[in-house]
Amino acid sequence: MALTRTAPEGGAAPDTAPDPGSGSGSRRRRRGPPGWALVGALVALVVVGPLLALPASFVGEGAAFDEIARTLLPDALRTSILLALGVGAGTLVVGGGLALLVSFWDFPGRKVLDWALILPMAMPGYVLAFVVLGQYGLASPLQSNLFGDGLRIPGVRSPVGAIAILVGVLYPYVYVLGRSAFLGQSRQSLEAARCLGRTYGQAVRQVALPLARPALAAGVALAVMEALADFGTVNLLGVQALTSAIYRVWYGAFDQAAALQLATVLVGLALTLVTIERLLRGRARYQQNLSRGDAVAPRRLHGWRAVLAAALPTALLLVVFVVPVVQLVAWSVETVAEGTVAPSLWRAARTTLLLGVATAAVAVVTATIVVYGQRSTPSRPGRVLARVATVGYSVPGTVVAVAVFVPLVWIDRRVVDLSASWLDRDIELLFTGTLLGLIVAYLVRFHALAYFSVESRMGRISPSLDDAARALGADRTRVLTEVHLPLLRTGIVTAALLVGVEVMKELPATALLRPLGGDTLAITVWEATKDSRLDTAALPALLIVGVSLVPVILLVRLMRSEGWTGAADRI
Amino acid sequence: MLARLIRRRWPLPVLAVLVLAAIVGVAVVAGGDDGEQLVIYNGRSHYGDEQVFLDFEEETGIEVVLRGGTAPELYERLRREGEDTPADVLVTTDLANLWRAEEEGLLQPTTSSTLEANVPAELHDPDGYWWAVSTRLRVPVVSTERVEPGAVTSYEDLGDPRFAGRTCLRTSNSEYNQSLVADMIAKRGPDATEELLRSWMANDPEIVGSDGEMLAVMAAGDCDVGLSNHYYLARALEEDPDFPVAPAWPDQDGAGAHANVSGAGVVRWSDQSEAATRLIEYLTSPPAQELIVARGEFAANPEVPPAEQIRDWADVETDPIDVEAAGPLLADAVALMLEVGWR
Repeated sequence: MALTRTAPEGGAAPDTAPDPGSGSGSRRRRRGPPGWALVGALVALVVVGPLLALPASFVGEGAAFDEIARTLLPDALRTSILLALGVGAGTLVVGGGLALLVSFWDFPGRKVLDWALILPMAMPGYVLAFVVLGQYGLASPLQSNLFGDGLRIPGVRSPVGAIAILVGVLYPYVYVLGRSAFLGQSRQSLEAARCLGRTYGQAVRQVALPLARPALAAGVALAVMEALADFGTVNLLGVQALTSAIYRVWYGAFDQAAALQLATVLVGLALTLVTIERLLRGRARYQQNLSRGDAVAPRRLHGWRAVLAAALPTALLLVVFVVPVVQLVAWSVETVAEGTVAPSLWRAARTTLLLGVATAAVAVVTATIVVYGQRSTPSRPGRVLARVATVGYSVPGTVVAVAVFVPLVWIDRRVVDLSASWLDRDIELLFTGTLLGLIVAYLVRFHALAYFSVESRMGRISPSLDDAARALGADRTRVLTEVHLPLLRTGIVTAALLVGVEVMKELPATALLRPLGGDTLAITVWEATKDSRLDTAALPALLIVGVSLVPVILLVRLMRSEGWTGAADRI
Repeated sequence: MLARLIRRRWPLPVLAVLVLAAIVGVAVVAGGDDGEQLVIYNGRSHYGDEQVFLDFEEETGIEVVLRGGTAPELYERLRREGEDTPADVLVTTDLANLWRAEEEGLLQPTTSSTLEANVPAELHDPDGYWWAVSTRLRVPVVSTERVEPGAVTSYEDLGDPRFAGRTCLRTSNSEYNQSLVADMIAKRGPDATEELLRSWMANDPEIVGSDGEMLAVMAAGDCDVGLSNHYYLARALEEDPDFPVAPAWPDQDGAGAHANVSGAGVVRWSDQSEAATRLIEYLTSPPAQELIVARGEFAANPEVPPAEQIRDWADVETDPIDVEAAGPLLADAVALMLEVGWR
């Protein structure tokens, strides 16, 4: 679950709400002390600062790069690009196709599929991967699989296998955005096309589909970013993508400079894709805001077409969600019955929860400060900085981990030295290999999620409220605490939820920075699957899927109450 | 309350500094004297070994804090933390990372008459920087259904053209594979090793994530010849005596099967070297060794026989890793594996 990157430019918040920095009140506000803006800028710097270490890796001991460029890089880069292209095409076909089908045709089961098709969003790629591996080549300790020895999927340990699995869990991004775009289209445009002699199918293809292009592109971009950032799936399948190459260089050759250089390449690739998507989309924005009565009425399918229309999505859902979940439940039940639950499971669950809650709290605070700093004292540098701070979300966790590690070690050394010289006490490292260090990494990566949620809410609060409060003598801090915070509640809860859940399933940054002995559920799954202990991995995996279902269910509810466009704004 | 604080014009930066100070304060207080507590960076933490440490705790009253991770991660962590590390003992699954740690000056020498009695000379560092806990053979394994007995008798056979498309290997990221290749470079020379690895790659091996997965893949029929640590197979056979994979002991007329070592050493900056030594003594003593051996490894302590299910494997001709020679070649090994295209 991620916040759509359309929000800052295409989304509702900054464009529809009057810019608090313009208009009559702004001059007066601008004259005030820059306190909030300064704090906001500082926070933004902290969030994005570590990433600045990446390009620096090419300066100085850059010699390592020649070696990588010759051996690891070509293959890893090729694989990552292949993954990006494959997942892009796959999610477009599957997610876009399903959105088309459900939007314009009616068939038995459509109502249920309409929301059920979002569920795979709750399944992390590494979980689906290990269930598939488990069902594919099964270690003898486990005979409880649903397929016996019957299921054979050749070549699952390959880029193609990785693409298939990633498409299975990432297509909902395209589905949700596409579905909302189709629903936002008016019936009239389709009817106009029909009047011009097109069949229903032609009208859909030639009118509805092109109109939804920007939304589909945004969904595909999200899915591709996720695919580039994926670490667990490719590792389990033995596919050497850039993310796994980074891990390998760091922990295989112990060459952190080389890891940073590879990370820079990966970030470059990710940012290139974001830019391409932006350019392709241009100024285009999907139409919405139509009253509901205008929406297209789906056409009823009959006979074999109806059967096919119901069967295909159902089959997909069975393969990527229902069967894996049932399999996880079966393995978990067996584990519990045999009493072989990993003894550290509950500790891992506690650590995971703690990390989720703590990071969510911190992210909400940083996001609110940055957003409010921008609102109370708008400035161009401040706005740029606030935007730049959201870049972390398009940076894979592996990269964030290596980037964050450098400054944290530096700070740790200073703190330890200070403590030794001033207080004459030896203290343990604060950030290196601790939960605190992890929280910093999560913050860099997920600050954007909180930022967009808070920002879009803040945009709906009329600046005249600020003016009124200020006119009554409240200072800026009081305006924030007594006027804005209560109004921001929904945004803040959404932000906390999104961040919390992302943190709980996060794998790559956790794998690289984890505090020794403080494993999370995701790490438990990963460790166990690396050792082919599928039974041990099942219960924590099930817990992760369960937790991830929370925001997905909220999304489904939102989509029912506010209509699809409201829901799509929140992805 | 918080709102009121903020409203009292406490500038946020001041609040932030206060929070940071509180965190540092907690760290200072918590980071004080640990008393009788040993922090173990334990690469062997996965499923089953914890009991050994619990037994130690019970027997000695010394509290053990286990911090788990893979051997390379632990080594890297220790290297980064340096003198600030909380670790007292490093336990790894392979010799490469112990050797690296010694080389990097992260360990301190220890010895005792108990240790000398428990661990034969070839299984510990002459100066006492590391002590073996168990030995592990990295050997070819074959499908009993699709490979006739005797078809594989050496590491070279993994590159035999008749197994083209039928082999599988774990990634070159595995420390076991890295140790094996470094040992090969030490004993066969770089050119012969490169030629050997190229022949392995020529068979286009399926690359799998773990030894366990490799065995599963072999049992499922997707690969006929693999390379695995022996105890994974021992565990599979214990679960299912009819498991369709068998070891193919290599070079039994020559050097023998490559044997790696899992071991432990005392961290250089530990101020509890006495308790740390006691822990290693315990790990190599018969009660602990029996628990370790029960999971299919060979004991470092010669008094402890192999587990029932692998008793037949006790007379396999083994070729212990030449640590002093192979250690410095680890980087070369990793480079060579990349060079020949071993993913």
